[in-house]
Amino acid sequence: MKFLIVEDEQGLRENITSYLSDDGNICATSSNLLNAIDKLSDYEYDCVLLDLGLPDGEGFELLKFLKNKMRKESVLIISARNSLNDKINGLNLGADDYLIKPFHLAELKARVEAIYRRKEAHGNNKLIFNEITIDLHGRTVTVNDIPVILTRKEYDILLYFIANKGKVVSKNAIAEHLWGDEIDMHDNFYFIYTHIKNLRKKLIDATSRDHLKSIYGIGYKLTCE
Amino acid sequence: MKLSVYYTRLNIIATISVLLLGAIIYFFAVNYVIQNQLDGELNEEMEEVTDYITAHQKLPEQKEFENEQIVFTQTNQKTMKTIYANAFYKEIDEKNDDEKNGRAIESIIQLNEKYYKVMITISRESTEYFVQIIAAITLTLMTGLFLILFLINRYLANGLWEPFFFLLKQLRSFNVSEAVSPDLVTTKVDEFRELDNAIHLMSSRVKNDFITLKQFTENASHEMMTPLAVITSKLDTLIQDESLKQEHFNQIQDIYGATNRLSRLNQSLLLLVKIENNLFEETEQLSLDRLIYEKIDLFQELLNSKNITLTTNIIQKSVTANKQLMDILLNNLFSNAIKHNIDSGTIIIEQTDNKLNFRNSGLLQALDEKKVFERFRKGKKSQGTGLGLAIAWNICNFNNWKINYSFDGSLHTFQITF
Repeated sequence: MKFLIVEDEQGLRENITSYLSDDGNICATSSNLLNAIDKLSDYEYDCVLLDLGLPDGEGFELLKFLKNKMRKESVLIISARNSLNDKINGLNLGADDYLIKPFHLAELKARVEAIYRRKEAHGNNKLIFNEITIDLHGRTVTVNDIPVILTRKEYDILLYFIANKGKVVSKNAIAEHLWGDEIDMHDNFYFIYTHIKNLRKKLIDATSRDHLKSIYGIGYKLTCE
Repeated sequence: MKLSVYYTRLNIIATISVLLLGAIIYFFAVNYVIQNQLDGELNEEMEEVTDYITAHQKLPEQKEFENEQIVFTQTNQKTMKTIYANAFYKEIDEKNDDEKNGRAIESIIQLNEKYYKVMITISRESTEYFVQIIAAITLTLMTGLFLILFLINRYLANGLWEPFFFLLKQLRSFNVSEAVSPDLVTTKVDEFRELDNAIHLMSSRVKNDFITLKQFTENASHEMMTPLAVITSKLDTLIQDESLKQEHFNQIQDIYGATNRLSRLNQSLLLLVKIENNLFEETEQLSLDRLIYEKIDLFQELLNSKNITLTTNIIQKSVTANKQLMDILLNNLFSNAIKHNIDSGTIIIEQTDNKLNFRNSGLLQALDEKKVFERFRKGKKSQGTGLGLAIAWNICNFNNWKINYSFDGSLHTFQITF
């Protein structure tokens, strides 16, 4: 995939770039609105990651530009502004999702993948990872054509891991993904252990291989080989 | 005591003392003048008697005088200074011994080598009548003044103070977070106008300070989000490094935890500012019972993990509120009831037509009901932001609901009254 990352904070821009590039994606970056619109005029991208508060204007301007030109780029807004108005405004102007800072890179990747799948699936609603096949519409999982029954949370975790395959995903990121803002989980990761233990066991039973690797109590990694 | 009552009381005391003093002075002055006049009259009478004696060479008979009594007494005294004195006057033609106040003159007259002491007495009745009239007028004046002052105090003075009470009412209802400025007072009284101006100046200054403070909180919290995003993304990148060791990961995990708390704290502060800024104005009809069941679903795992028994007593009820705020309110109450609960504890959710109770077991010690909703007030072991209940209070306040805390010896209760 080709990304355009429009973010004025250098540290964040670099990390997003390096995280997304590892998967074989191509990332272009812009630190301001004018440069971003220039780039969009010259090139086509699959997805634009857009910060709203840019030094030379509001990110909404870029959304209007894309809408006027009837462009097909997906847009994920990344903003520190946690207001319903901004969200609605962004989504009305054609953005596909809205992610509030601070966020985990794993969450960003999962959101980007989800947007991409929604837009590019074209009826193909199967997500395949090695021998695991996921029917995204039916929310069912099969391994070598044998169905594996997963709970809703286990299914969500599996999708999250597949989006971040080959990456170490922290427990914090998983917790936030599963429960979002609504529950303040603080340092209680008991539920994650339970869900991951169950998911892991079900996958091992079906594939006879352990794809999930624990990383020193900080998180997990879905290995690709 | 009301100022007007106090003022009128002073007024009345001052006026009445002046009036009384005036009446006394008046009484004496009139008395003095009348006495002088009587004495003049007596003098004339005495002269008449002397003239009579000189003309007739004999003492006059009593009947020659109509309104006076006259008494001659022979004496050896040859001269005496004419004296005037108060005496009793007796009507001649009346049989009874009714004596009236009178005025008398005494002098010595010589007749045929004999000396007589003459005493002429006249009645003071008419002059006493005069004094009575003066007293009556003074009394009437006093009563009239008293009445007028009372009426002024009762009806006029209260109207006079109306702007003051208006200002007082506005001060009482003054709310620093409300955008409306108090109404201006229309009055001709300079003092009230000055007071009104001072109050307006003060309230606008306080409001400006408050707005500045809110903006500062908002900006500060906002500006912290981006660095927090950088920290999180750096950590996310750092943990990809395969050469890191267990102890590094432990450190990183702690940084994750702290970053998470900081970002929650910021979100909570921003939320408080937003509630205070009335940024959640859109309201809708919400089914409270359905919302509670949704939350029970959401928190089920947390309940299970602590082995908490949940009892509910919920009836159908709809409330008009902002969906987002209602979610946050219920989340905070639920989190609070779970967080501060004990293992194998209980939570009771009771909902009636106008009340919602969240009751939970926990430490067997009551919290300070006055301080429990204060910002950054939290238990020693709490890892939360200390803003959860402050936010709950603010949301209730925003919706004009009441939230109370109580402890009955075993269960902590948070009660919302709609």
